[in-house]
Amino acid sequence: MPVTKVLTAGIGEANLRDIDVYRSRGGYAQWQRAVRDLQPADVLAAAEKSGLRGRGGAGFPTGRKWSFLPADKALRYLVCNCDEAEPGTFKDHMLIEEAPHLVLEGILLGSYGIACHHAFIYIRGEFKRGYEIFSAALEQARAAGLVGKNVLGSGFDIEVTPHRGAGAYICGEETGLLNSLEGKRGEPRLKPPFPAIAGLYGAPTVVNNVESLAYLVPILERGPEWFAAAGTERSKGYKIVSISGHVQKPGNYEIALGTTSRELIEIAGGLRPGRTLMAVQPGGGSSACIFEEHLDWPYDYESLAKAGSMLGSGAFVVFDDTTDFVKCAHNMIRFFAHESCGQCTPCREGGHWIEAVLERLVASKGVEGDYEMLLRVAGGITGLNLCALGDSIEPFLKSVLLRFPEQFKARVMKAAAHV
Amino acid sequence: MSDAALAFDDLAARLKPECERIVAQYEYPRSALLPLMHLFQQHEGYVSRDAMRFAAGMLGVTPAVVESTVSFYTLFYRRPVGKYMLQVCRGLSCSLGNAGDIMAYFREKLGIGHLQTTPDGVFSYEEVECLAACDRAACMQVNLEFVYDLTPAMVDEMLASMRAGTYAVAPMVQTQAPPPTWSVRPDGEVSTGRKAPGATGVQSPDNAGGVGDAAGLIMLDRIVNRDVAFYEGTRERAVRDSRAVAEVVASEGDRAGH
Repeated sequence: MPVTKVLTAGIGEANLRDIDVYRSRGGYAQWQRAVRDLQPADVLAAAEKSGLRGRGGAGFPTGRKWSFLPADKALRYLVCNCDEAEPGTFKDHMLIEEAPHLVLEGILLGSYGIACHHAFIYIRGEFKRGYEIFSAALEQARAAGLVGKNVLGSGFDIEVTPHRGAGAYICGEETGLLNSLEGKRGEPRLKPPFPAIAGLYGAPTVVNNVESLAYLVPILERGPEWFAAAGTERSKGYKIVSISGHVQKPGNYEIALGTTSRELIEIAGGLRPGRTLMAVQPGGGSSACIFEEHLDWPYDYESLAKAGSMLGSGAFVVFDDTTDFVKCAHNMIRFFAHESCGQCTPCREGGHWIEAVLERLVASKGVEGDYEMLLRVAGGITGLNLCALGDSIEPFLKSVLLRFPEQFKARVMKAAAHV
Repeated sequence: MSDAALAFDDLAARLKPECERIVAQYEYPRSALLPLMHLFQQHEGYVSRDAMRFAAGMLGVTPAVVESTVSFYTLFYRRPVGKYMLQVCRGLSCSLGNAGDIMAYFREKLGIGHLQTTPDGVFSYEEVECLAACDRAACMQVNLEFVYDLTPAMVDEMLASMRAGTYAVAPMVQTQAPPPTWSVRPDGEVSTGRKAPGATGVQSPDNAGGVGDAAGLIMLDRIVNRDVAFYEGTRERAVRDSRAVAEVVASEGDRAGH
């Protein structure tokens, strides 16, 4: 089976929270090499050459994101986004708890790559345990001289501050995150300017996902060519896919991009005996479903976009023939309605009203025209919001409305029932 | 001064050094707002008005700014809660598993619903969004510690040991008897102070999509008309959307007889 353990190597086998164990497996060797032998430009070049794309959702090339920082501004920040809350995603939860030093080394390498001296990691409020584990790892690294002033005598200063959120999905959006980190409501900002120009405290800032930064460690260790050799032409390297729902062995599986969706289902133990597949949501709550006819397509950014969906955060949720898609749609929309920050009317009102209509459909009390109204209202939200949350309301809903219209229409009350 | 006020002053004096250490981690003090509120909630069981006022003084902002910020986040409780905060995941993956049954079981055994606290002040119950543990559904947090692979038998055992005071996770500090709910919304539905739906007077789902919505239009205008570096695709999409908006706005104008 095509599982390749890169970031997940050693998890579940060794106590990677212990800095000695991590170092005995080659940990922090790349950080030492970077500050002693490499220039920041070398790290940036490796990131660009590897083809690494953001693993948090948007899939933007990591090296290119760094290259947007204005060269004439020395004050800049790196923020590691560990506000993992995309429904179905649980990879960063695992990494921060089971491989905190790998996450830290990734942050250090990223900081060096952009030549910043203060990095933050924004950790979801619910990951209290993850925050404690990471903080302990940070103290171990500080005691070993790997973090702080004049790291290993190199003259390079780097401070890392772990910061806990307090329960808000929208703080995973990079500008919402920056506002939250500044002690404000986690409302996304108008873009442009993008964070690379004006981010944290108005200074140029790079926000990278935990998994993206962690991959810098093996990329430097084995070379960007090694990473780029895996995957497909435009989706290079490896990815941790969080597989859940109707499979027999749900879990995090690390694969080369381009593995097929059918293989992913098999990796996760396949469907339960006697069940057939109805749909897969391949990239988190914000992604549209793909179906049987897409299963042999490669799981990569381009193929999923071609299938009308996206790879997103790599949350792969499987639905078998027992699924009630009206309930699922209600569940998903309730999430977005609850998590909308409320700044933009289309998202705040649209999500709320769709939830209300789906609620009556779940209760089999739909009224004539509900099906058409759902499609119309959902389509009226996309593209009219400050951030991607509003645009995330439509895809899943629309994909299941179009694929399983009978499930929705059957919940509309018959005309006689009105009387 | 009341006993409560004296107790808070005492607590604040005790936590001051820790607060100062937290504030010193940031270039701008206001960044310490969330960490300070976490700290006070840990010691008071909830975020009191005194705590918000204290943080405001320390960070150089008004108490209203602090409360506005605190109200955005679901993990800050602005009223006292039970000793055990039981937060069960209602996310999609958990719901494909047995989360529905587990939530019904909790409601039955506790005799309370979403965002409510039992009269004895021991349990608070909330059904929360995806907790990022979908491979071990159904899952929950007890005072922010994860519990995985829930079964009804585990629920029975958990509640019994919490009542007996022997549960593995420490109870939250309780400085006051909690009210029946910690939600501050009049409809009791959502615990946050995010802007509520309906606030702008949208009366039906038919105009909820909001073409002509001010925020959307301002954003589109700025994206389309400013010459700046864009992430791939953003500009194309904005141009397409702004044309679509312009068309709809024009056709609506026609219908309205302008």
